[in-house]
Amino acid sequence: MLGKVLKNFDIRTFWRDVRFLKWAGQVLFLVLFAYSLVLFVQTGINNLQSTNIPFSFDFLGDPPGVSIAEGFETLPDSGLRMLHVGMFNMIRIMIGGIIVATIFGTLLGIARLSSNWIVEKAATALLEVVRNVPLLVQILFFQAFLLAFPRLEERDRGEITFHVSSKGIAYPWPERQESAFMFFGFLLLTIYLARRVFKWRVSLLEKEGRDTNPFLWSFLTFLVLTFGNWVGGYKLMGIIGLISGYISIVFDSIPSIAYQVLFSVIAVFFAFRYIRKQIRNTDTGEIRGILSDDDYFRIILSGVVAVFVVLFMFMPLGQNLTYFLEGDELFYKSNWGIPQFFDGVAKKFDFNISGPPVIMSYPEIIQAGTTKFTRYSPDLGKVTTVGYFATWFGVTLYTAIFISEVVRSGIMAISKGQSEAGLSLGLRRRSLLRLIILPQAFRVMLPPMGNQYLNLAKNTSLGVAVAYPEVVAVGQTLYNQEGQTLPVFLVWMIFYCSISLSISSIINYYNRKMKIVER
Amino acid sequence: MIRDNKFFIENPYGRWVRDNLFSSSSSAFLTFFAGFMVIYSYRGIVGFILNPERMWTSVTYNMKLYMILAYPDEAMIRVWLSVGLALLLGGLSIGFYNSGKTISLGGIFQKLFTISAVIALLIALAPTNTNVIQNDGSIEVVEIIPQDVRMLILGPSLVLTLAFFFLKNIKIKSLFNTAKVNLTYCGLIIASLYFIKIPTISLDSSGERIIPDPFLPIASTTYIPWTILYVGMLIFFFIGSLLKNRDIKIMARLIPIGWFLCPLFIFSWIFKKPLVELNTVFSADIPSILVFGIIGFLIIRFSDNQSLGAYRTPINIGFLVLSVVVFLLPVVFIFKATMVLLLLLLVVSPAIATTKEGKRQLFIVWVVSLFVLTFLIRGASSDTMLVTPTGSIFGGFSLTWLLAIFGTYASFPLGLALALGRTSTLPVIRIICTGIIEIVRSVPYITWLFFASVMLTVFLPSGVEFNLIIRVLILTAFFSGAYFAEYIRGGLQSIPKGQYEAANAIGMNPFQRIFLVIVPQALRAIIPTLVGSVITSFKDSSLVAIIGLFDILRIGTSVIPAQSQPVAFIGRNLEQLVFLSFFFWVFTFVFSRRSMKFEKRLGLGER
Amino acid sequence: MSIIKTVDVKKWFGDFQALKGISMEVSEGEVLVICGPSGSGKSTFIRCINRLEQHQEGEIVVDGIELTNDLKNIEAIRSEVGMVFQSFNLFPHLTVMQNITLAPIWVRKKSRSESEEKAMELLERVGIPEQAQKFPGQLSGGQQQRVAIARALAMEPKIMLFDEPTSALDPEMIKEVLDAMKELAESGMTMIVVTHEMGFAKEVADRVMLFDDGLMVEENTPKEFFDNPKNERTKLFLSQIL
Ligand SMILES: Nc1ncnc2c1ncn2[C@@H]1O[C@H](COP(=O)(O)OP(=O)(O)OP(=O)(O)O)[C@@H](O)[C@H]1O
Ligand SMILES: [Mg+2]
Repeated sequence: MLGKVLKNFDIRTFWRDVRFLKWAGQVLFLVLFAYSLVLFVQTGINNLQSTNIPFSFDFLGDPPGVSIAEGFETLPDSGLRMLHVGMFNMIRIMIGGIIVATIFGTLLGIARLSSNWIVEKAATALLEVVRNVPLLVQILFFQAFLLAFPRLEERDRGEITFHVSSKGIAYPWPERQESAFMFFGFLLLTIYLARRVFKWRVSLLEKEGRDTNPFLWSFLTFLVLTFGNWVGGYKLMGIIGLISGYISIVFDSIPSIAYQVLFSVIAVFFAFRYIRKQIRNTDTGEIRGILSDDDYFRIILSGVVAVFVVLFMFMPLGQNLTYFLEGDELFYKSNWGIPQFFDGVAKKFDFNISGPPVIMSYPEIIQAGTTKFTRYSPDLGKVTTVGYFATWFGVTLYTAIFISEVVRSGIMAISKGQSEAGLSLGLRRRSLLRLIILPQAFRVMLPPMGNQYLNLAKNTSLGVAVAYPEVVAVGQTLYNQEGQTLPVFLVWMIFYCSISLSISSIINYYNRKMKIVER
Repeated sequence: MIRDNKFFIENPYGRWVRDNLFSSSSSAFLTFFAGFMVIYSYRGIVGFILNPERMWTSVTYNMKLYMILAYPDEAMIRVWLSVGLALLLGGLSIGFYNSGKTISLGGIFQKLFTISAVIALLIALAPTNTNVIQNDGSIEVVEIIPQDVRMLILGPSLVLTLAFFFLKNIKIKSLFNTAKVNLTYCGLIIASLYFIKIPTISLDSSGERIIPDPFLPIASTTYIPWTILYVGMLIFFFIGSLLKNRDIKIMARLIPIGWFLCPLFIFSWIFKKPLVELNTVFSADIPSILVFGIIGFLIIRFSDNQSLGAYRTPINIGFLVLSVVVFLLPVVFIFKATMVLLLLLLVVSPAIATTKEGKRQLFIVWVVSLFVLTFLIRGASSDTMLVTPTGSIFGGFSLTWLLAIFGTYASFPLGLALALGRTSTLPVIRIICTGIIEIVRSVPYITWLFFASVMLTVFLPSGVEFNLIIRVLILTAFFSGAYFAEYIRGGLQSIPKGQYEAANAIGMNPFQRIFLVIVPQALRAIIPTLVGSVITSFKDSSLVAIIGLFDILRIGTSVIPAQSQPVAFIGRNLEQLVFLSFFFWVFTFVFSRRSMKFEKRLGLGER
Repeated sequence: MSIIKTVDVKKWFGDFQALKGISMEVSEGEVLVICGPSGSGKSTFIRCINRLEQHQEGEIVVDGIELTNDLKNIEAIRSEVGMVFQSFNLFPHLTVMQNITLAPIWVRKKSRSESEEKAMELLERVGIPEQAQKFPGQLSGGQQQRVAIARALAMEPKIMLFDEPTSALDPEMIKEVLDAMKELAESGMTMIVVTHEMGFAKEVADRVMLFDDGLMVEENTPKEFFDNPKNERTKLFLSQIL
């Protein structure tokens, strides 16, 4: 082999050799790219050093000195905690938005295909209005609209059911009681069982060829079990608490470092296995031995996830690693850990708990502390703040409009021929929809739907314009306090990259699954 | 029941109603439900807009602020020239590309009928009263459309509706050119500037006190320039038609180039103060144009020469070396740029200047581009008007527009490069480009804007400082470049493998293959997507308001609601946002509709 | 004098060996027809000759130039070898005229007027001068394939490769393409034609080869090939196809 290469080697013409040209070009490109990157970073480091705020992540551990308007914690004790509140606020909007936008968007998409003139035209008009106005303008409009409501005055004080003011929207909300966890645990079990029953009836239908009413059966199962749940069936879930209690005791008795290492090893093992599978897959696939970009991404992603799991294992549990590396407290104080987690679970799932899972709680307008201002009570009912409402509503409506386009074109893409073929086989309309149209339309719709979810996730960042404390707004507050712009930017970048990666890998997973079904 | 009624079977209108509104009982239910919803929301919106609490003068009074912020009055002529340039070019292209489609008088009446019927319906359905929330929380009912006003509008529109209904069925042979009809509509809009009156506020001579002058024509200060521009547009329309009739082929190339250059010209007119010193014009510009013009002429004249053709490669290389040398020498930038242009001429002229006609056209292009180049470079190298000592004077809609256009300009080549990199067969290049695209795309635009506003300066060598607008443009180019790259990649992947093979088989090198065969096809395949993404970047440009640029949105949300002089508009956000929604809506809606038509026409000519 | 010479050419796709050692020679002005069952490596072989595929072992020499990784040799060979594909592969965004003149202008660096004249000549030769300003999508399959022939000829190649030029065409269009090819063969062009048109092979070919499973199993004059094949495999193939 080498001998042959040497035989063919000609010093006069080797620079014209295609292989040489290819690699020379790539190396040159790499060098140029790396050089400009280094230059860029170097300038950055130099410039930062010459200012009096050198690059550091210290602010993540320091108390931020500011409070947050809303979130699971309004007075966070460290920068990182504060960012977590922001991230949680963002995810809250994202999940609510995805669910509502999908439902509303689907309805709208179907309305656009309606044969009813007025429904079709109304849906189209809504689409044309929302689609052609910048999202930011819409969000600001919703904010201004709410702010134009009267302010809360002293005379408003007292218990209320539904109230809109420039402070937000207050409405009754079922409040979780002690038994809620057990109730919902049992509910999940119920849903699972109802599904099993459905599948069982369907398989019976296929085997025996008679109508076995799968819908009715599973619905009845659900009803019966939920009724049982309500009257006290949830106590069964206490068994989980019992087991968790034992687990907690077991984990408490072994040194924390042991299971940190254990879980890390497990994570690395799975990542390794996943990567190996990916490489094998591509090796036997059509394009032999060539990894596509998607494969590279999957491999890198699984590596990153494994590293994160390892870090996560070591990070909050007494900060072993960070103490070791930094010598001081880098991350926020917490006594969160595996034994504590199971302990918590054991407390939530207890045979002794009784009472209804939820109780309706009504909002109330109260005096704010000793001041003469008036506000909604934070503990009663549910209050949606102006910022939250404007961001959530704006983002959801905007995405729903685009989802309706996806749904519409998805259904239209399934040709008329398909439904005619189905009808000619003697399928009834509902079976036709369930067995032929929807599975195909869903496959066509999935990738663009995923894109819309990604857009929604990114658009939540516009909350910064209406002072909704999501991760960008919180980050901005933080760097205005500490001057650490770049670290904050890095946090943003990592956060959004991981959100995007998670959404797209979920979509990719389903996409692949569908494709396999197709073949 | 209704469905069996004779009217619903025999009458065409009846049949339409039956098929589209009451085709089944559920459809009938939907009709009533949706109809109720639509009417209810319509009445709500009208009530909202005509509510006496709204103060629409805050919008009309600040129209100039919205468009150009504090652009100096003495330089306003530049703004008009820019708008004029675009309009004249528009007139020229409408004339030149006039498809000759016609519409009959009946068709026009049909449209007018629809419009007047809709107006009558809307007026009839409009609410009489609206609710005003008082400060003490109580609700008061206020009359917004008095009965006599309603009748005053309803009566004539009903009469017109009836008239058009009968007129549209009259068979009149005469046909009208759609382009001309559209121009007439434009004219009507211009005329309406004189007649339609809106509530305004005007100042007395001292400039401080307001005289509430309830109604003035919409554009009381600007209708004269608009009229002049409209007339100019008409003239250019006829010039365009003339050129089309004479079948001047070169125009088909010049007009797109004109559109491409138009924003650059406007940029240098509005945002720069070109320093035109007669001294430099005569001592440097004119001679250099002359010299290069002559060189270009010689090249064009002799490039066809066969004996010279053999030496073309050495001559090309010679010019390449020469222009590199000139680039390194400390000479005026114009020379450097012209040398590069000359090289380009040298490369293309053998292919184009083969006939007498071709030679003449190429020479004209050459001279024009010399002038353009000189003008642009002179403009770019003179003082900027972007910032004055008192802060930014530059903003409003012109800034929004600038960001959208230049964002597109800069991001397109970047996106193309990234897309080619991502589809490349060379792994290193592919991985790097993929990484850049994915990272840039997964982070929201607003974070990149924050990066531009507070972080980018850190990475620039000391001494280099960019204006915030420029920094935003750089980041915008990257951001939308990454998006473009994905769209273009879609186009590239739709090109069958056979095209690459055919290009290889006829001996093309990789560059020729990509730029002559693959990219033109790929771009053609994704024009609709690209248009969509231009609209998106127009809408996205409103985000710069968050980082403190005074674009049209920021003027509406923080400048005007803080005005207390001469009229207090404090807290008037809602009006501004309604106006801005409407404003953006008109632009994007019209643009997307136009581009849809354009795409249809484009699709016809090819293949 | 042989203008194409291949020695023991081997080619693998991953683990699969598509060519298992092909040695042959073609002399100037000769018309060679290659036939064989599907998947036998015919296309792969002629695509190796102008480097659309890269062979891994063996030697290919075209007009005295050896096909190596040297860019200069690859370019030289490609500009001497024209190719016509089964699926035409015309450039849909260019007119017929532009399709033909693209390579002369950009690769051969000829002036536009000269290349357009030449292109008109070629279009007349293949019998469709009136279609010059149309786009490929507006032409019939047979017309498109004739444009593809003209496009390849515009580079003034010494050798023409045809990869099943008629198998994507309707029967009535096949004839017009074959006529153009016949005319080309009579003018003395060196041609390698992969085809299943046995009539064409009988009438025009100077030699016929049969490929099977990556090997050349028979090489013969047309008369001998059809009337008196040496190889069992050939007999089987002919019995299936005729
Ligand atoms: N790019 C490729 N990757 C993997 N295998 C390939 C590739 N191209 C061709 N092959 C394989 O090489 C073998 C020869 O293919 P080739 O196209 O040369 O056959 P052919 O004789 O032209 O057949 P046909 O008459 O059907 O065109 C086939 O088995 C084919 O599957
Ligand atoms: Mg083949």
